[in-house]
Parts: sequence; C-alpha cells; structure tokens
Amino acid sequence: MTSIRQTIENRPWVGWLLFLLTVGIVFLLGLLASSIVERRAETTAIAVPEGKFDAFEAVNEEFKDYYPREYQSWLQTADTGFRSMYGGNAMRDMLEEDPRLVVLWAGYAFSKDYSQGRGHSYAVTDIRNSLRTAAPMTPEDGPMPGTCWSCKSPDVPRMMAEIGPEAFYSKKWAALGHEVTNSIGCADCHDPATMNLRISRPGLVEAFERRGEDITKVSHQQMRSLVCAQCHVEYYFKGEGKYLTFPWDKGFTVEQMEEYYDSYAFSDWTHAISKAPMLKAQHPDYELYTMGIHARRDVACADCHMPYKSEGSQKFTDHHIQSPLNNIANSCQVCHREETEEIVASVYAHQQRVVETRIQAEDVIVKAHIEAGAAWEAGATETEMAPVLQLIRQAQWRWDYAAASHGAAFHAPVETLRVLSGAIARGQEARVELSRILSKYGKGLVAMPDISTKEKAQQYIGLDMPKLRAEKDEFLKTIVPEWIRQYESKGAEKSEPVAAQ
Amino acid sequence: MEKRKTLFHRLIPPPQWKVPVLLTLGIMVGFVAFLAYISRFHNYLGEKPETCINCHVMTSQYASWMHSSHRETATCTDCHVPHENIISKYLFKANDGMRHATIFTLRMEPQVIRIRESAIPVVQKNCTRCHGKLFHGPPASGMAVNIADRLCWDCHREVPHGTVSSLASDRFARVPLPSSPVPSWLKFSQDQNDQNIPK
Repeated sequence: MTSIRQTIENRPWVGWLLFLLTVGIVFLLGLLASSIVERRAETTAIAVPEGKFDAFEAVNEEFKDYYPREYQSWLQTADTGFRSMYGGNAMRDMLEEDPRLVVLWAGYAFSKDYSQGRGHSYAVTDIRNSLRTAAPMTPEDGPMPGTCWSCKSPDVPRMMAEIGPEAFYSKKWAALGHEVTNSIGCADCHDPATMNLRISRPGLVEAFERRGEDITKVSHQQMRSLVCAQCHVEYYFKGEGKYLTFPWDKGFTVEQMEEYYDSYAFSDWTHAISKAPMLKAQHPDYELYTMGIHARRDVACADCHMPYKSEGSQKFTDHHIQSPLNNIANSCQVCHREETEEIVASVYAHQQRVVETRIQAEDVIVKAHIEAGAAWEAGATETEMAPVLQLIRQAQWRWDYAAASHGAAFHAPVETLRVLSGAIARGQEARVELSRILSKYGKGLVAMPDISTKEKAQQYIGLDMPKLRAEKDEFLKTIVPEWIRQYESKGAEKSEPVAAQ
Repeated sequence: MEKRKTLFHRLIPPPQWKVPVLLTLGIMVGFVAFLAYISRFHNYLGEKPETCINCHVMTSQYASWMHSSHRETATCTDCHVPHENIISKYLFKANDGMRHATIFTLRMEPQVIRIRESAIPVVQKNCTRCHGKLFHGPPASGMAVNIADRLCWDCHREVPHGTVSSLASDRFARVPLPSSPVPSWLKFSQDQNDQNIPK
C-alpha cells in the first residue's frame, strides 16, 4: 500500500479533498456549537419577563398586564367570605371571641383592639383602622413608630431604598402615612426585574447574618418559605430607633428567644394590673412551622398556602394566599389521599385540643395577674413580688408564643402543646407564690371580676373605648384621606393605587 | 492480528507529519469536548432533575413535578428510565438523549410533548416498582384487577404532571436556570446576583 503522502503526491486533488473535508467538519462543528450556545441563551432569555419595572415598583397594578393570572388570583386576597373554625379571611374580633385577652394585655395597645387579620389586600386599610395605631393628628403625633408599617406594603422597601431602614423605623408611624399606600403585593416577594423571589426586608437578612447564615445561599424551595418569613415571625422593636429585629440569635424555641430577651432585660410593656415586665409575642409562624412535620418534609409555606393551579391551558402559582382549609384539593390532597371532610376534621381536632389547652393557660394567667394586683394592694413588697412577676412574664410569654402563631396548632401541634404546658405550669407556680403572699397580708380568696364580654373586660382594665373610637373616627375622616391625596398628587405613581376598603 | 497491526500502523503518519496531524486531531477532539461541555453532556450521566430542563422545553414537566408529592421521593429518572440493570438504563438514556438532542437541535420539538409508545412500559414498571405493595393483597384485590388491563395513569391522570402541559403552559414557573458555562475566573465584572438584597 502506498502511504497517504505518496497518494497525495501522485494525485494532489486527494490532498485538497482532505483539506476541504476538514474545513467542512470544523465548520459544521462550529455551526452546531453556535446552535447550542444560541439555544442555551434562549433558556435564560425566555425566563426574563417582558415588562420593565423599577427595582422597587410598589404599585401592584403595574404588573397586571404582564402577569394576569398571578395578579387576578392575588386580587382575591380581598375575599372575606371564608371562616374556618378558628380562622379564615373574615374579620374576627378576637377580643370579643375571647375577652380574657383584654386582661392579659392590660396596659398594652392590644387590649384596645385585636382582630384576626384579613387578606393581604387589607394590610394598609386594617392598620389604619386599628385602634392600636390610635389617632395621630400630625406627622409627629401618635404612639407607634414607622416600624409598624414594615410589613404592610411594597412601598416599604421602596421607602427603605430611598431613606434607609434606620430612618424609616425611627420616624413616627404617622410621618409615613402618605407614603405607605399600596397593599402587600408583588414587590414584597418578587424582584420586579426577574420576578425571582427576593427578600425585600432587612430584618430577615440581618437575622440570618447574626446567626452566621447567608440568605443568598438558600434554595428556591427555601425561598418559598423565607419570603413569608420576612413578616410571619417573632420580632421586636429594638432600642430608641425602634429597629425591627428578630430575636433569633440563640434559636427559634420559646426558651431560646426568652433567653435572648432576658439577656437584654427587654420587656415590651409593664402589665397594668400585675406590674410584671411583659413580653408580647408577634406571630412566630415561621419559627413554629420549622418545628413541625411539614417543614421536616421540606414542604414550603407556598406549597399549601399558594398551591399550583391550572386554569385553561395554564399552570401557575395561586396568588390567592389563604388558609389551605379553603382549598383542600390543591393543597392537602396533593399528598394526602383522604377525603376532604376527614382532612378538615383532623385539622380541627388538632386545633380544638390546642385551643382547649390555650384557654386553660389564659384562665390561669388572668387569675395570676389579678391576684398579683391584689397582692400589691395588700402591701406586698417588690422583693416579695419579683419572683412572682418573673413567673407571670414567663407564663404569658409562653402562652402568647403559642397563641399569636395563628397556624401553630396545625404547623407544630406537639411543640405548641409543650409550650402551653410550660405556660400553665409557670402560671400556677406564680399563683401558689401569690397565695402565700396574700395570706401573709391576711388576704383570703381574691374575687374575680366579670370579664365575660369584651366591653366588661375593657371597662375592668379602665379603657375609655368611646373616646378611643371617636378619636379614631376623626383620624379616619380627616388624616387618612389627606394621606391618600398626598400620595396621589405626587404624580409619580402612574396608576391608581390598590387600596381595598 | 498481523493485518490489524498493519492497518493501525498505516494510520500512523510518517514522522515528519506527526506534529501537524496531532495538532489537527487535537483541535477536532477539543472542539468535540467543547461541544460536550457547553451542551452539558456530563450532566446527562447523573440523576439530577435540573438536567432535564437543560433545554427549556421540559420546564412545564419540571414545574408540575416540583409542585407534586412525587417531588419528595422520585425524580425524573426514577420514573422515566428503566431500572432493571445498569446496561438497560444507560442504553435507554443514550437512545433517548440522542433523540432529544437531535429534535431540539433541529427545532422539531412539538408544542405539547407526549410520552412515546416505547416509554410507556418503562413508566408503568416504575410505578409498580415503588407502589408494588398495593398489588400484593388478596387475589381479588381491587388494585390487582385494576392494573390487569390498564395503565396507572389511565385513572391517576393528574399524577404528577397534571393534565395541562405544553411549551407555553408554565410561562412564569421559577425553575433552576443552568449556570453560565464561563468559569468564574474568566469573568471580570462584579457578580450582580445579590444587588437586591437589602443591606
């Protein structure tokens, strides 16, 4: 056989053929490569939404043409037609349903007004309406700081980007009334540029940092809970600047948070009857959820509260954020094959047991407060009372941690009952101490007041409700329309803000 | 043996040609390696579900699986690849992969992707691979009768991808996007990923 070299020398066209073949192959490989590169780019390109928005676009309506299904389902958070046994999206006056709360929170704004939250649509409306925010007639007036707006609106990250979180928190609540207008919506959880989930509130980021964790290094599945954990958590207003802070440094359990608060000697208020240095728990929903079986199974908040949904030819995340009890088929029954009635019955069974235990804790702590009040009147000294007040603080903190976490009875029933049992034990311990003190001062049985209704309970703790309501009405009639007028007249906002009434 | 040796030797270029031939072959092999790299060929040897949305056409299937209960225990390959033995598994993967790659390259993907005839028994076997206990009841057990003449998903139609699925059915599904093929040391611009995290 002749070698290739010889062949080529004899017949030069073979050489040219080889050359052209190689050129052709490389050319085709190049074409394939650019096709692959092009289609790779396609993957990322189609994931970028069409609309161009500001990084902190706060007007929810701006998104409606681009995400019609998500937007339409989000609008349904205005629905108030569903009541479950203990929750739902209807407005429920919790003080009326359980007047013990009035005594438990005596001296604190929650004793004036505490209603079960309606849907996200009403976040701004309801905080304006609440008696807790009182009736500030000037921007410098009123009991509450700007921090109270933190979770209410996509205007909050917009303002924080403008003036910084510190300035936002340290303003008076009324000073920001004309800025915070749009109800909880798109930009609270989404980055408008990519529509990826985004943490928009600094509180959660800072809590992660203090725990030595990096919130940018979490999975999408974790983000589907963490966007909720920006708000549905236990928090407090730290220091003079009222800086929104999560007490997560030592951990999520009731004891770890208590240790954190104790290390600062922090108290939210001094109880009006018992003079105990109290802690107010603020819905530790996320924390308790992490202690339950669904979190263990990596089920995210959105899996049940915002399940996947199909409509015509489209599948999308249902943005009607609500109780899964109103949407069993798309939430529970994705995994659980039981009949709807059976699932509901099982949830209610959990809730009933927890509520029963919770009421027992309330009865004990209410009595402890009133007996402590009687002990002060009888002449008890501060040294005598100190351990009692500490026990009352611990008992009520435990009770509130379990009670304020609205979904706790379902999210983590065992942990919730453990926490409540701690509340009952400490409350009873306080009462044993108190009976010792009372008998020392020659006091017998302390008569319990009639707190069978909200009105009676509020009268008992000395609240002038008609006055508070009249002030609020005046505020709603004069100040709030002025806020809305100022917001609209800024003109910066392109369309009507969504403010459900 | 002798003949093969000569054949092989005939392919070896004469000494003065060795360098250019090595270079040319190197370029070609390198190019093929590059193709394998940018098409993320190495991923296809594994089991990660993200691999199946390397090209975006199966985003709908990924999104519906990701919202289903199967997410907890089974990924794409658990159902869609045979698990009898490693040979049948990788043969199936190679065969399927080549077809997918070809169709995708030629832009022949249909608007609605449906399971192929030949893949049906694979999925059915995988259903029973995990859910086999259901059929071990008494001889007249309902389940055993049920699968005698039909497929699992003839009844369980929504499991797990739902009945709606097309290239356009999950427009805004947030699914993992493939990372850039450009290594970080070749990127000189600042990473912009966390610009939206409040400080």
